[in-house]
This record gives sequence, C-alpha cells and structure tokens, in this order.
Amino acid sequence: MGIDVNSWLIAATALMLTLLPCLWVCVRHSVLSALIAFELASTITTLVLVLLAQGVHRDPFMDLALVSAVLSFAGALTFVRFLERWV
Amino acid sequence: MIEVLVAVLLVIAVIAVLISCLGMLVMRDALDQLHFTAPAATIAPAAVAVAVLLEEPLSSAGIKAAIVAVLLIITTPVLSHATARAARIREHGRWKVLAHELEDEEAL
Repeated sequence: MGIDVNSWLIAATALMLTLLPCLWVCVRHSVLSALIAFELASTITTLVLVLLAQGVHRDPFMDLALVSAVLSFAGALTFVRFLERWV
Repeated sequence: MIEVLVAVLLVIAVIAVLISCLGMLVMRDALDQLHFTAPAATIAPAAVAVAVLLEEPLSSAGIKAAIVAVLLIITTPVLSHATARAARIREHGRWKVLAHELEDEEAL
C-alpha cells in the first residue's frame, strides 16, 4: 500500500524545506518583510500541493493547489490592505 | 527521455525557489526582498506545469497544473505592486508622489 518515491515527491520535499527560510524571515524581520515571506511561502505551498498531487497520482488533489492559488492571493491582499494603515 | 526532461524541469523549479528564499534571507530592506518573490512565482510554476503536461498531456491534472501556473504568474505581480504600495503608504502616509519630492529626486 506504500507509495514509491519518485522525482515529484523528492522535489516536493525539497520545496517544503525552503519554507524554513520563510518562517525565519516571518519571525525575525519587520512586519512588511514577514508579509513578503508569507506571500513567498504561499506560492511555495501551492507548488508543493501540485507536486504532491502528481507524486501520488491523485488528480483530485490538484484541486487543492488550485484553491490554494486563488485563496492565498485573496488572503495576502487582505493582509496588505490592513498593513497599509492599521497594523 | 520524458523522465529526464521532467527531472530537469523539477530541478529548475527547485533552484528558482531556492534563489528566491536565499535572496529574501540576504536582503535587509523589504522592497529589496520583494523582488525575490518573482523567480518562485514565475519560473517555478511554469517549469512544474510543463513537467506535468509532459508526463500527462491533455489530462485533468495537466490542465489544472497549467491553470495554477497561469494564476500564480498573473497574481504575484499584482500582489507585489500592492505590497510595495502598502510599504510606501506606511512610510510616507500617502501613495501619491508630491511635486517637491520629484524636484528633490531630480536635484540628486
């Protein structure tokens, strides 16, 4: 019942590791830098979902990536709007 | 042959994201960091979508991966502009450039 390791899953793992620098910037830098790191992290997460969907050969998982791409844009825009003046 | 191409495209995607992350870590200013979101949001999704399309041409997964790539490529510049605008408003209290600011810049 196991899933064979393939190039998609290896790439997904490598991309997940790149979330660590984003986390570091979120914690250690200014609010604006943290927002930029968050934007980059959401892009990486969307890519990881695409790679995982392809790696485990489950087409419906690709919908998660699609939803993530749309919602991360909306979420980041909301943060940007608040950061302009109120936060 | 397709497996090799897919692997090469995935390596390109990972390298693009790595460059983005390292650039963001190295840069100190938020506006400098903002430039480094571009490689991860343009090169990487395009490479991943092409890789999926190579492995499964005209499948549901391939089309969805292409839509994800197009979405990321379109929305990230919009988000970058909005973030830069927010940075300026936080710093100066307004978005518009005033006449004396332009004159000061020209004098430099």
